[in-house]
Amino acid sequence: MPGLGTRLGRGGATTTLMELANSDCIVVMGSNMAENHPVGFRFVMKAKTRGATIIHVDPRFSRTSAMADYFVPIRAGSDLVFLGALVSYVLEREAYFKEYVLAYTNAAAIVSDEFEDTEDLDGLFSGFDPGRGTYTTDSWQYAGSESGEGAPEHHGQDAQSMGHRQGGSRPNDLSTDPTLQHPRCVFQILKRHYRRYTPEMVEEACGVPKEQFLRIAETIVDNSGRERTTAFAYAVAWTQHTTGTQIISCCAILQLLLGNIGRPGGGIMALRGHATIQGSTDIPTLYNLLPGYLPMPSVQDGHRDLASYLEGVVTPAGGWFNAPKYMVSLLKAWYGEGAQPANDFGFQYLPKLAGDFSFQPMLLAMKDGRMRGLFCMGQNPAVGAQNARLVRQGLARLDWLVVRDIFETETAAFWKDAPEVLDGSIAPSEIGTEVFLLPAAVTPEKDGSYTNTMRLVQYHDKAVDPPGDARSEAHFVYHLGRRLRELYADSTLDRDRPIQALTWEYPTHGPLAEPDVEAILAEINGWTVGDRRPVRSYQDLRDDGSTACGCWIYSGIRPEPGRNRARERQAGPSASEGAYLGWGYSWPNNVRVLYNRASADPEGRPWSERKRYVWWSDDEQRWTGLDTPDFPPTKAPGYQPAADATGLDGHSGAQPFLMLAEGLGRLFVPKGLKDGPLPTHYEPFESPVSNPLYGQQVNPAAIGHARADNAYHAVADARYPHVLTTYRLTEHHTAGAMSRWVPWLAELQPEGFAEIGTELAASLGIDNGDYVVISTARGAIETRALVTDRIAPLTVGGRRLHQVGMPWHYGYSGLARGAVANDLTTLVEDPDSFIHEAKALTCALRPGRLFDDVTPMRPLSRARERGRGGEG
Amino acid sequence: MTPGPKRLGFLTDATLCIGCKACEVACKQWNQLPMDGLELTANSYDNTKDLGASTWRHVAFVERFDGARPSFDQPPFQSGWLMLSDVCKHCVRAGCMEACPTGAIIRTEFDTVVIQQDVCNGCGYCVPACPFGVPDLSMFDGKAHKCTLCYDRLTDGLEPACAKSCPTDSIQFGEVPRLMERARNRIEELRRLGVSGARIYGDDELGGTGGIGGLNAFFVLTDEPEVYNLPANPKLPQDETLPGLLSTLGAAVLLGVGLIFSFRKR
Amino acid sequence: MRHVPQPESRRGPRRPAASHGAPPIHKPHWKWLIVSYFFLGGLSGGSYVVATVAELFGHTDDRDTVRIGRYLALLALVPCPVLLILDLGRPERFLNMLRVVKLRSPMSLGTWGLVAYGGVAALSAAAQAGVDGLLGGPARGLRSAPRRLIGALGAPLGFFIGGYTGVLLGATAVPIWAKNARLLGPLFLSSALAVSCAAISLVLALLPGRREDALARLRRAETAASACELAAIAAIHLNSGSIGRPLASGRLGRLRLAGSVGLGILCPLALHALGSALGLPRRLVAVVASLASLVGGFTLKYAVVMAGHASADDPAATFEYAGGQPPAPVR
Repeated sequence: MPGLGTRLGRGGATTTLMELANSDCIVVMGSNMAENHPVGFRFVMKAKTRGATIIHVDPRFSRTSAMADYFVPIRAGSDLVFLGALVSYVLEREAYFKEYVLAYTNAAAIVSDEFEDTEDLDGLFSGFDPGRGTYTTDSWQYAGSESGEGAPEHHGQDAQSMGHRQGGSRPNDLSTDPTLQHPRCVFQILKRHYRRYTPEMVEEACGVPKEQFLRIAETIVDNSGRERTTAFAYAVAWTQHTTGTQIISCCAILQLLLGNIGRPGGGIMALRGHATIQGSTDIPTLYNLLPGYLPMPSVQDGHRDLASYLEGVVTPAGGWFNAPKYMVSLLKAWYGEGAQPANDFGFQYLPKLAGDFSFQPMLLAMKDGRMRGLFCMGQNPAVGAQNARLVRQGLARLDWLVVRDIFETETAAFWKDAPEVLDGSIAPSEIGTEVFLLPAAVTPEKDGSYTNTMRLVQYHDKAVDPPGDARSEAHFVYHLGRRLRELYADSTLDRDRPIQALTWEYPTHGPLAEPDVEAILAEINGWTVGDRRPVRSYQDLRDDGSTACGCWIYSGIRPEPGRNRARERQAGPSASEGAYLGWGYSWPNNVRVLYNRASADPEGRPWSERKRYVWWSDDEQRWTGLDTPDFPPTKAPGYQPAADATGLDGHSGAQPFLMLAEGLGRLFVPKGLKDGPLPTHYEPFESPVSNPLYGQQVNPAAIGHARADNAYHAVADARYPHVLTTYRLTEHHTAGAMSRWVPWLAELQPEGFAEIGTELAASLGIDNGDYVVISTARGAIETRALVTDRIAPLTVGGRRLHQVGMPWHYGYSGLARGAVANDLTTLVEDPDSFIHEAKALTCALRPGRLFDDVTPMRPLSRARERGRGGEG
Repeated sequence: MTPGPKRLGFLTDATLCIGCKACEVACKQWNQLPMDGLELTANSYDNTKDLGASTWRHVAFVERFDGARPSFDQPPFQSGWLMLSDVCKHCVRAGCMEACPTGAIIRTEFDTVVIQQDVCNGCGYCVPACPFGVPDLSMFDGKAHKCTLCYDRLTDGLEPACAKSCPTDSIQFGEVPRLMERARNRIEELRRLGVSGARIYGDDELGGTGGIGGLNAFFVLTDEPEVYNLPANPKLPQDETLPGLLSTLGAAVLLGVGLIFSFRKR
Repeated sequence: MRHVPQPESRRGPRRPAASHGAPPIHKPHWKWLIVSYFFLGGLSGGSYVVATVAELFGHTDDRDTVRIGRYLALLALVPCPVLLILDLGRPERFLNMLRVVKLRSPMSLGTWGLVAYGGVAALSAAAQAGVDGLLGGPARGLRSAPRRLIGALGAPLGFFIGGYTGVLLGATAVPIWAKNARLLGPLFLSSALAVSCAAISLVLALLPGRREDALARLRRAETAASACELAAIAAIHLNSGSIGRPLASGRLGRLRLAGSVGLGILCPLALHALGSALGLPRRLVAVVASLASLVGGFTLKYAVVMAGHASADDPAATFEYAGGQPPAPVR
């Protein structure tokens, strides 16, 4: 997550779900936590029972809102105005945690005098190239390091997000003004940037009455500081915007100003979208990341060899100074004997990025016939991808499609059941795609692990054999790799050498030759190459080829044979709610609350007794407390680095943000974000209103794909007057393969629907339960109306604005069916995360059905089980 | 079977319910119950509608905005949108059990009420005899079914599936007197927080009234029981059996005399 | 145990603010099988009682009344267990009804009552058959069975069969039934006796020969029973208040009025009272009046049962019946 990575150092939740029980105030925004993280919400309820104030800010009143003390209905897509106004409130009233801000953030750092803010350029920062739609970030650097010390200029699609590649400077090299008065110090820039984000602006742009906003701000401020902490919990309703990264970033700024980061009951609880998605970015299936958030080498960034690659990653101070150790160890893990100092440790075997191959461009390439084949493994893009109709048309242009899933999903069945097929637009005989449906094993049928939303890795053991031909992912990938290696074994072509060089021997067991997952875990943990002894932590890794490690942030998860820390289940007792250190393994190093050095003052004493967490023990001369210290264990608080000190030695004993070069939390991000060093409100790509703050309507760096089959609505397009937002229900999971086929879940929410406010419904003549048609430039769908008071109109910019919401789980397969909500959405990306904008667009709404007679997709409906009333 | 020393039951605290329906699913999975059907009711988020032969935990949703928008400042713990996991009340004196003519419905050693599936012949008398509309006949096997309070789990020392799965401990399982004490504390705390409508449903004042003598599975509510579709002052139906028989006897005497006179006359 | 008083705001029953998906109680599944059983069971028990009264207190020309009554009691009874068994969800397990005796369950009492009554009815019918010379061989010995004694002992069972089904309905949570738990038994019993008189009259009227006096006595008996039935209907109507909606109005209300009251009670009375004045043949009057009475009796049972369905499906009825001020709490 670039939002948290660039501001704090690591792209992940900074705290744990259990730790929320210690919060004095929890703000749930951009999230429907009770519905989508019900088990995690347990700890919000615990906090509430202990007297915490729960605030829910959301376009509609959901099951989370029912438990909130304050419910704030907000216009979808206006979060940045709200958050920016909170930042402004805190700055104007000097309600920030002064000692914390001065010691632990870059508030005092002075920025280049070439920097121009959005206040100067009506919504743009300096360095924008309108032709390319990108920024050059030279002018955003700290004063004196405009050329990006040690870090070359970057363009293009690099991962840059997760903390490295941020340029910046080591702390001692920064020019600062501790009085925070210098006009170009970060503090003053921040103040000026958010000056017009006022309570009045919140009312105009968000539809939130001033008094409500002020009450929220007061509550948050009253619950922050030495004695009290506030936590924010957000989910994809922040992420899935073209400004998603910046929204999250703004929360990080606010929490840094309030001194909540690294504190018990504080922090930012990033609630991720499904069970192991954190794991899928840690050991990524993302095109632009290597394990442990190392970036994928890129042609455009000039990564000709390992040295030039490492130049772009290494920072003079901070954790990324050791990037060579992580990278070389990774290459040793992957290429074994084939990775030697002489051949750059096999760096040439890695694929290099030569363009944007993120998800959305991939879908467009598929639609344009430039893709031959596709593997969909536990992914159902016919329902889950934006502009799903386009995606399904794209599937029809593939030569082959492999779907590995537990049911015949909409993606596997597109060629016969998709709406385009049923309404005659495409005939199956015209579809040349060869579809392979391979059954997959479910969780209890395989060994493996989940890395959940709080960076916690929990291993699970296989309980039963999968039925029939169903196989685990490990089995599929391992044997696919094995067969490919056999296929290419005799090749003499250069391009086949990577496959030949791969280490691919894992022990297998059982009649199905199931690969030993613990052996894979051992490789992830890492070992010394000579004797295959496990390393105990990433600090044991070397850059000379003597260690191998599949993912440095997981190092330590299997520190000795037979000890799999992810399998440990010690439920208690625990001194702190959040730090059950014997339950599973939390990266890095089993730290539960990240940046917990910040829970103590610069002298190493807790900010208050009530909020003590990690502190310096003079007796033991080490950091101690309720959690693993996220800090070098024996570095004293008073330590000052020498002028040429590198790595973590380059940070003082009072700089908690290890993975950032400055060691300080960044209120201002000089490098690492594509769309600005400061979060700025831009309207969603499709909005009913003009940007009230700037002439620049949308994120200038957002990645759009304007084309005939992905048309966008104009601003305030009268044909599409309502705001549309999509979301999830407790009862179903993502694109539905795991829930809409299960009878017990299907009957709980058996059919797709849209939630429509009573006023809007009355004005259009829509009764509860009626069919309605929702349409955008991408498509039209019919669904059922759930008319409710829970989604009420707002007054925005002086006019009455209606919002319509739809769960997006439904498709044309399974027991519980409904129209595909994503037929309405559009392909457009946040420039930092490449995430789509699903949370705010515009639509039209009318009562009735799509067709006059039989519709292509009739929802399944069966008689209810009643008593034996049939004999009458 | 006479109840043993343990009296086990549920405290279902509606103020902690987030409407996640884990209880419904856990119950169905443990007891391998069939799905009821696939019908969008458009009645808030409640699509399983009712307790019945194959739904033994039912989460009810009541939207209480009455045409207004949700308010900013909310009373603590559930407001505007009430959620409650309904279940068999396992009455201290149970209408279903007293009605059952085969003796299929029994009281267990845990003071819970269970329908023995190897005895029930599906007469269906327990169905209208329950003041709370709990048991129903199954269209699949013709017999009456309802929550067993996971009798099979209790005999192995485990808690019921719904209580185990509830993430917010809205469903609490344990010994009824202790749960009742906990509920009373909770009511006092809620009233202190300003929830003036907080009440226990299932004592002899409300819900466990009229000869029923209390509910082993009882509730904490924040509004009138009728709002949750529960009767406030239910009666034990079989308290009318003897009076009904006596008045029929009286009628028989009267009619008999009338008949005799009719036939004696020339 | 510590007592925490209920909130001040509690009042009497009231409608919920939001509508619900399902009523608060479940209705029984009973329809035609059970309605038919109620009717036939009442006909059987009533016939037995009428036969017994005629035998013990009647005249020699009531012999045919007794005979028809005894046979009718058995004939009407024979389908009853079949209907009940077919109505079960698991018919093959009908014998489980005889596992226990539960004095507070009208269905348990009824099961055992049916068994006992069935035996007695069969015995009486057999004795009657013996007297009528219908039995051959060793069964002929039955003609010397103590018919009067058996009839006297069986009559209470006949009353029970005719009336207990009303108590069975009343001992449920269905509002319109439960509210009238003490009236349904008398209602069903009087109706049973009335239709029994009518049925016996029908057979007598169809048989050759003149049986004026016997028919007259049966008419008187029927009138007495119908008067009781009418009183019970009125009492139920008054007692029910708004809970009586399903029977007082709508389709069932019309059925009750036109069928049970009109056809079943008033029509026979009118025919008998005015028949001779209008110069209608006696036999015709007797047959039509009896048929009307029988139809009315059936519609009564039907209306009451279906009214129960409607009442159970009406949340307001349950909240009214099961609402109100609570009793003083027990410490």
